[in-house]
Amino acid sequence: MTVLRRIAERPSVRTLGSVVAALVVFAALLVAKGADPISGYRAMWDSITRDSGAFGDVVVRTSPYLLAALAVVVPARAGLFNIGGEGQLVIGAVTAFAAAEVLDQHAPRAITLVVMAIAAMLGGAAWAALAAALREWTGTNEIISTLLLNYLATLLLGWLVFGRWKDPTSTGFPRTRSLTDAERLPIIWGRVHVGVIVALVAAVVVWLVINRTAWGFKLGVLGGNAEAARRAGFRTGALATSALLAGGALAGLGGMLQSSGVEGQLRPGIMVGYGFTGILAAWMVRQHPLKAILSSFVLAAVAVGGNGLKIREGLSAASVNILMALMLLAVLGWGGARRSAASR
Amino acid sequence: MIEAVLTGAVRGGTSIVFAGVGETIAERSGVTNLGTEGSMLCGALTAYAVGIETGSPWLGAIAGIAAGAILALLHAALVLWRGANQVATGLAITFLGIGATSLFGQDYVSQGVEPFTPWAIPGLSDIPLLGSVLFDHDPLTYLSFAIAPLAWWFLFRSATGLKIRAAGERPIVLSSMGIDHRPVRWLAVAIGGGLAGLGGAQLSTAFARTWSENMVAGRGFIAVALVIFAAWNPLLIVLGAYLFSGAVAFELELQARGTDVSIFLLDAIPYVVVLAVLALMSRRRTHAAPESLASVFDAAA
Repeated sequence: MTVLRRIAERPSVRTLGSVVAALVVFAALLVAKGADPISGYRAMWDSITRDSGAFGDVVVRTSPYLLAALAVVVPARAGLFNIGGEGQLVIGAVTAFAAAEVLDQHAPRAITLVVMAIAAMLGGAAWAALAAALREWTGTNEIISTLLLNYLATLLLGWLVFGRWKDPTSTGFPRTRSLTDAERLPIIWGRVHVGVIVALVAAVVVWLVINRTAWGFKLGVLGGNAEAARRAGFRTGALATSALLAGGALAGLGGMLQSSGVEGQLRPGIMVGYGFTGILAAWMVRQHPLKAILSSFVLAAVAVGGNGLKIREGLSAASVNILMALMLLAVLGWGGARRSAASR
Repeated sequence: MIEAVLTGAVRGGTSIVFAGVGETIAERSGVTNLGTEGSMLCGALTAYAVGIETGSPWLGAIAGIAAGAILALLHAALVLWRGANQVATGLAITFLGIGATSLFGQDYVSQGVEPFTPWAIPGLSDIPLLGSVLFDHDPLTYLSFAIAPLAWWFLFRSATGLKIRAAGERPIVLSSMGIDHRPVRWLAVAIGGGLAGLGGAQLSTAFARTWSENMVAGRGFIAVALVIFAAWNPLLIVLGAYLFSGAVAFELELQARGTDVSIFLLDAIPYVVVLAVLALMSRRRTHAAPESLASVFDAAA
């Protein structure tokens, strides 16, 4: 029995158990709704394994989630909460599109895409900079400011898509013109675009930067003990600002990957839920950039599986939010290494 | 114009008053709850559904309070019992609320409820301007006029309120008196969720008189933001809530009158107002924060 207990105490086993518990609770809620949980899970499973294209959708969905998660990971290192991934994703998509408009198809594909990616990162960073500046100059809490900036980013997108950038030939739902082939990310397999590799590389780079550079080390000190960082002579304000900007840049890049890799144009609601899902992905793995690859993938599978729940079981599309939230709550409360009794 | 804006401020701000006052009580005990948005959603749907099933909006409102409190208790369980991070847990709770109300609310989308109807107070409602702004509302809005002073009295004049504030400032003081600070926090979080649920109930059964998916639309988050603006004082929450919803009423009024400015830019006004006000006041407000809340905001571990 002690062997069994030792296995059950392992962090990975506890985390896995938490996820399974979340699946059970979600099944119970489906029963309460009058739905059949077995056929519900089968519908979800089928919609992610139906064919290689469906699996590709999961892989593709992983990349914006992963970048949104990394946008949480870097500031968290410095003890900051970036709840603004949602808005930074949107602004990244917007500034990437703006860059494409400025280039106006005069540049070769590689240069166009690189310029769009840089514009997206600058855009996301600039949006995060608003929160960083408010924090630095007025002491406004970044949790609140990044949260409110999400709404403003969405409205800005709506203003552009319904106004200046509205495709005159579009009927019905307003949207921008379609991006040309040179403005779209190359496809590597099925519907999987090259952005997936970009996102994976970003995760590795974040891991390296956090663990292997002086800047990453300083962020860790600041996040661990701000007073110690101050005593050590770190410029804490600049450090905190740089962490938020880096987070914003990562999310901005995620916005470009989604608009240029998947959507091929801008429309209202292009990023709804992606930033918040990224927060879940980051916290499920306690802000570990490499493990975030796995959590982003799992959440992407749940999200794509949700299509099956909607189409085959007639349940609302947002129902899978329950499962995602339950997974995070279970992991937050019971996953990972066993901790001493709550101190708060 | 002024009358429309002021009336809109009160009418639209009521749900935020309830949620903001509730969150003030929770934060005074040292627990931040970003799940307020989720509690409002659960309160809104539960009140609506119970209102339809029983035909009584009052029973609906009571059920809404219970639903909001139950979701908040889940937050309390994770944070206080399991030691989970407050911000991450709160966001997950809101996510849960969005999903659960979407799943269970599907059947209620096109159904009509017996709503709370305005009670015009005889005499007072005939006063020019003030009458329509203050004295021609649904009963829950009148209740919201009382809730902030009540919460103020509760926090600053009652024994339980004193314990809540002590739990938020120096839990060790409570321990030295032989009082465990954790039940106090559980209570404060539950009260906060219950009031958020009541705010949601007002939204669905008195203000909008309909249920639609995700209808709280950020009001719960605004309520959490306003707690800082109000320097953790329930009386000032009212001011903040009316400021936000007054800005909403103002831009809707501009839209109704027809203007060249894009509705998206007009829609941004309330959020810009809240951000600007927070930026102007934050420096002064940080000192007012309950001391043990600081550990929440500082450590993202």
